Amino acid sequence: MSFDQAIDIPEIFDADDLRVTLLKEKARYSLRLKSQDVTAIKKASGLKLPAKIMGSTRTKDIICAKLGPDEWIVIADPTQKVKLDKTLAKVSKEFTCSITEISHRNVGFEISGSEAAQLINVGCPMDLSLDKFPVGKAVRTLFESASILLIRTDEHSFHLECWRSFGPYLRDFFARVISTR
Amino acid sequence: MFEIHCPYCNEKRSEIEFAYAGEAHYVRPTAQEQTEMSDEDWSRYMFIRDNIRGEHAERWWHNSGCNMFFNAIRDTVTDKFVMTYKMGQPRRTETQIEAARKNNAEQKAKS
Repeated sequence: MSFDQAIDIPEIFDADDLRVTLLKEKARYSLRLKSQDVTAIKKASGLKLPAKIMGSTRTKDIICAKLGPDEWIVIADPTQKVKLDKTLAKVSKEFTCSITEISHRNVGFEISGSEAAQLINVGCPMDLSLDKFPVGKAVRTLFESASILLIRTDEHSFHLECWRSFGPYLRDFFARVISTR
Repeated sequence: MFEIHCPYCNEKRSEIEFAYAGEAHYVRPTAQEQTEMSDEDWSRYMFIRDNIRGEHAERWWHNSGCNMFFNAIRDTVTDKFVMTYKMGQPRRTETQIEAARKNNAEQKAKS
């Protein structure tokens, strides 16, 4: 599948203390693995799958986050897609597991700046203080009524993903909140 | 709005992430039992619940979070959660519930 089906959400806001950007295309995979296979799959795929629930690891091109006791999401740069498709296809043949390519299911936003946490808290009840939500923590939660994936990438920077069909809704929501600042 | 402790995430999360999923420890008859049981017994299994007033063992689903089902002891009068525990663990005894209630009160006094 190509990446040209992306919906058109322009970069929406840019200021000193708050910047909301639509992320470029990503390759995404949903992994449901048996706990006894995780170590072997990590070795076979080379993915740095975090062991702790709500944990995430980040390399230059690939983010891995653990969303549930047996569920991971892998978000990678599209340049890695061909390679990952191959490795994960091999893994799914060798192990009893479920690996699904979901690149087009989500759209990602990057929200950064000193006001970033405040913007997210308008629609999401998570406690985003640094001690409760440290850098690297990744959760699936709700933003207004949309299911989102929220990863703190830096003290003042978040990676937020939602299902594609919710993209325009979140964009409009952000724009409306920002316009009333 | 209140918070529910998810035993899988091991933290308190907003109530909007959860869904109620009926009475806990409700065992489905095996296929063999189903063929042998009367219609009356089957309808009792399907439709009749205890509907307890007070502390109730029930299933909850963290559907907008880790997507796991777990069990909880909740007071249906005050809507207060006494404790939550992982799926597959045995029904909590009166002593365990009492201990959890005491622990909750201590935690509350501390904060």
